[in-house]
Amino acid sequence: MINAYNFAFFDEGSKREIRRATLKAIALPGYQVPFASREMPIGRGWGTGGLQLTLSLIGREDVLKVIDQGSDESVNAVSIKKLVSDTTGVQITEHTSQATIIQSRHRIPEVPLKKEQILVLQVPLPEPLRYFESSEHETKKLHAEKEYSGAWLMLFEQIMKYGSMTTGADHPVMVHGRYVMAPSPIPRFDNPKMDENEALILLGAGREKKIYAVPPFTRIVSLDFEDYPFEKESFDGKCCRLCGSEGVFLDELIDEATGEVYYQCNDTSYCYEILNKDEKAGVN
Amino acid sequence: MKLDVVHDLQSVYRKLVDSTSRPGLISDLGKEAALLDGENAAGCSRSLLLLALTLLDPEVTFKVYGSEAEAVEGEINQLTFAKAVQADQADYLFLLKDAGAGYLEHAIENANPGTFANPHKSAVIIAETGAITEGDNLLLSGPGIQTKIGINVELAGDWIEKRNEKNREYPTGVDLVFVDRNHQLLSLPRTTQITESREVEKEWVM
Ligand SMILES: [Zn+2]
Repeated sequence: MINAYNFAFFDEGSKREIRRATLKAIALPGYQVPFASREMPIGRGWGTGGLQLTLSLIGREDVLKVIDQGSDESVNAVSIKKLVSDTTGVQITEHTSQATIIQSRHRIPEVPLKKEQILVLQVPLPEPLRYFESSEHETKKLHAEKEYSGAWLMLFEQIMKYGSMTTGADHPVMVHGRYVMAPSPIPRFDNPKMDENEALILLGAGREKKIYAVPPFTRIVSLDFEDYPFEKESFDGKCCRLCGSEGVFLDELIDEATGEVYYQCNDTSYCYEILNKDEKAGVN
Repeated sequence: MKLDVVHDLQSVYRKLVDSTSRPGLISDLGKEAALLDGENAAGCSRSLLLLALTLLDPEVTFKVYGSEAEAVEGEINQLTFAKAVQADQADYLFLLKDAGAGYLEHAIENANPGTFANPHKSAVIIAETGAITEGDNLLLSGPGIQTKIGINVELAGDWIEKRNEKNREYPTGVDLVFVDRNHQLLSLPRTTQITESREVEKEWVM
């Protein structure tokens, strides 16, 4: 732990401002609360919004997990973990079930979250209406008036063009029947996990200076149409080549030697846990 | 002050996060409250002061209701450098236990509810109340609550009705935080629906 820094990097005033915004965000599920995003010693777009949330929350007793697109070991995840651990001395884990704070980019872990946990999601583009409305003043007005026909039209146009909702990641959701929200670039596979989740989910956008929240047990509905219902990515009939898991988000990979397509868990710590469990079971 | 403003206020904040994201979950501020010296509290409870220290600074404004309002405003201003203002302009409204009947209703009525475009600019009311305990006098539902949760708060008056009125046009409204003399904390964000179980019984009989 480096003592030259404040605990959790920030001065108390910076933490207080983020904390006030966070509490407001929890009281207004899905509403983007502006905050005075700070400069961070990591590049913008590398999760500074999520990092600021994590630093404002964290205490000495916390156990932190950081994942980037399913991996605990990516350069981005490692540098975030190093900054937090250097300035707080908290314990770091790769086991989802052991973490009290999980900061993630692009995924919600496969292991179901618990009541004692907070999931912090890094957000590059918090405004789900930005795709068709460039003015912040206008999107704020649309949210204020609950005028979301543009969001539906955007989805409808995609259906017309591609024959299905090919939104890929960041498929917009309706929160508590009031706000349309960008769930951050998680795959559609993870959208249903947000609905009535046990854990508090906080979302932070550093560059866009917004914090928003999904409290536990909050209704989250992915936008769709009766004729074109929301569908998550399907991995039917496929399983992880390493651990054999089905029903998880799989990465499609190509064996360079044989040219064969195979699949592997995107959530690597989940994959290792299943593998270790199998090994132990094999020994007994 | 034996209170560590970094670690102990982080702990108060996390309890506030827990209780606000799970309305009906009672948090215990006893450990942190015990670290505040008695002479610090100029007529307000230690848990109220803890919340002021956690949330206030020169960037926000506040107002105190109660017989010792002026002294407590002075104290909070000195500790946090937040500015005391009129009720309708305050970001945080603090109600002391002795403020008396009708003051919570008055505060709810006067508090800034924010606007449809900026609902986050609304006020938070932090009130000292009678005992907060698990029970079923009030039934809570809404985000953060799986189906329903019961709670008892010793607090007279028609504050629930006034709160309903104030929060009628979601997302505008006010968020409430209650603390009792045993440092038990209850948070009621505007999304929480409150039903008095007496009403439920009445309906049952009918
Ligand atoms: Zn696997």
